[in-house]
Amino acid sequence: MDDHPSFRATARVLLEAEGFDVVGEAADGASALTEAGRLQPEVVLLDVQLPDIDGFDVAARLTGNDDSPVVILVSSRDSSDFGPLVMRSGARGFVPKAELSGDRLQELL
Amino acid sequence: MTSLNRALVAIALAAVVAGGAAAALIVSSDHTPHPGAGIAIGLLIAWSFVGTGLYAWWRRPANRFGALMAAVGFTYMLGSLTASDDSVVFTIGVLLASLYFVVFAHLLLAYPDGRLRRRWHAWLLAGGYALSVVGPLPQLLWGFSERMLESCADCPESALLIERNDTLRDVFNALMSAIGVAIVAVVLVILIRHWRAATAPQRRAMAPVLWSGVAMLVVLATALGTDAAGISRLTDLLGWLSLLVFASVPWVFLIGLVRSRVARAGAVSELLLRLGEAPGTGTLRCRLADALGDRSLQLAFWLDDKGRWVDSDGHAVELPAEDDPARGRTAVELEGRRVGAIVHDRSLCEDPELLGSVAAAAGLAMENERLQAQLRARVEELRASRARIVEAGTDERRRLERNLHDGAQQRLVALSLTLRLAQAKVRKEPDKADELLGAAQQELTLALGELRELARGIHPAILSDRGLGAALEALAGRAPMRVDLADLPSDRLPEPIEAAAYFVVAEALTNVVKYAHASQATVSVTRLNGHAVVEVADDGIGGADPDRGSGLRGLVDRVSALDGRMLLDSPAGSGTRLRAEIPV
Repeated sequence: MDDHPSFRATARVLLEAEGFDVVGEAADGASALTEAGRLQPEVVLLDVQLPDIDGFDVAARLTGNDDSPVVILVSSRDSSDFGPLVMRSGARGFVPKAELSGDRLQELL
Repeated sequence: MTSLNRALVAIALAAVVAGGAAAALIVSSDHTPHPGAGIAIGLLIAWSFVGTGLYAWWRRPANRFGALMAAVGFTYMLGSLTASDDSVVFTIGVLLASLYFVVFAHLLLAYPDGRLRRRWHAWLLAGGYALSVVGPLPQLLWGFSERMLESCADCPESALLIERNDTLRDVFNALMSAIGVAIVAVVLVILIRHWRAATAPQRRAMAPVLWSGVAMLVVLATALGTDAAGISRLTDLLGWLSLLVFASVPWVFLIGLVRSRVARAGAVSELLLRLGEAPGTGTLRCRLADALGDRSLQLAFWLDDKGRWVDSDGHAVELPAEDDPARGRTAVELEGRRVGAIVHDRSLCEDPELLGSVAAAAGLAMENERLQAQLRARVEELRASRARIVEAGTDERRRLERNLHDGAQQRLVALSLTLRLAQAKVRKEPDKADELLGAAQQELTLALGELRELARGIHPAILSDRGLGAALEALAGRAPMRVDLADLPSDRLPEPIEAAAYFVVAEALTNVVKYAHASQATVSVTRLNGHAVVEVADDGIGGADPDRGSGLRGLVDRVSALDGRMLLDSPAGSGTRLRAEIPV
């Protein structure tokens, strides 16, 4: 989930190249919630800054149930910019966008 | 009765007793031609000096002028000892008969506060005192002159007479007179200098006593001169003239005092009238200057919130020190609250009643001017802070441009070159290309880091997205030491306040890291009486200078722009506490 199409495209190529199956994409918080409900993914890669609801809120709503997907937050900012918010959001972890790779995701899963 | 009053009554009684004794001596004398007139004139002069002296002493206990005045009266009575028929008492009387004159010169030199202004004035007077006693010695040692014998045929013999020697006596007499004239001349010069150095209010206070004193000195110096020259008729005339002027001194002084009281009542009532007039008919300063007769008068207004004095334009001013020799200050209060101060010529301190009445009359008008001055000070401050904010904005843009140019932009340029190089090598030298791509990756990570840092400095996204609490938590997490967050607001505050509060904490923590040598800092943001109160306290070395660096100054401007204020408490050795109060 990211409002930048270029990042979504790059991330899709990168993750598919590393063996992930990318089932869907969303450009804002609201559609992220709808799509996640519809597609029931195992992992949601979620940008912190979305145009409507921010990533922490989306993460909080997506997680909490037994069948909830694993949420990984991504941002072009550093996790230190967000203090304890990442921990509290219910997300499994945080990966800076520049460091996104299949291996980094595997480490968190 | 206070101890001062008791002492003054005792002195007055002593004067009465001494006067009685002098009168008794004169009455019983067989060589005083007109005892009745002598007693009347003598006592009138002596008692008027003692009386006005005691009055002045009572009015202004701290001023020695009254005591000197009384001393002139007492020493004047010593002259009556010459009426004694006893040779020894008569001789002592002759020796002490001129003493009063030097005390009078002392009084003139020490006018108006009773203190000598220069050390050498004291030496000059010491010479005068010595001369007044030594002066009659030639007559006493070598016999009276013919003229003296004529006027006092039945006077007793001098107890100190060695032998009659007219030549020796005349030589020494002329010498003593010459020294006497010289001393009187120097005293005159000093008095004229005092007059020229005096301000207008001082001159008004000095005039009566000074001019009658100067007149008497001139007459007396001339008398001494003519005496030495042997023009006896003129000497007698001048002697009477000087006596007349001398006798008038206490009365002139007294009239001056009474006149200043009447003038004071007039000045204050006129001031009250003029203060009631419509504004715009002259400034308050002019009206007070008129009432006190001091063109140099200035007004200072007290700004309670700033804790400093300003002039009517709102510019900061310093009040003269308590012991300033040239300028005095009188506080103006309204309903027990400090409103301002009148800064005036020091000599007006001699008349505290006048100052008190004027200050009391001016209270309300001063309060009005104070409010205007406060407004002007505020406008002045706003103007300065607005200019600083614009300047700070320009500086900030310049800094950003430089950082972007020197940092991320340079790295991206290098990255572009590296990538092109890698592209060229990718087929023929894949290992080299791989190495170059690795380097490019590193360069990119650094560029991203710098851009992130820069963006955070401009405005942290989390502050707008999640509010002050979340932003401060993140800030505390990044700090290189322990930062405790004591209180954070649960609700969002208006955005400008959140931003100001955030940057106050960020700058404060930066300063703590740089200067405070602290192990821990505590941050709290609370809402109190309609204010957001931001506090950053550390356990460091304290002694922070509020003027250090532009960072704190910029924060003060930022907080002031929101009508808030900053307080810095940083005693050496006890940590630093920075507090910002911003109205919500």
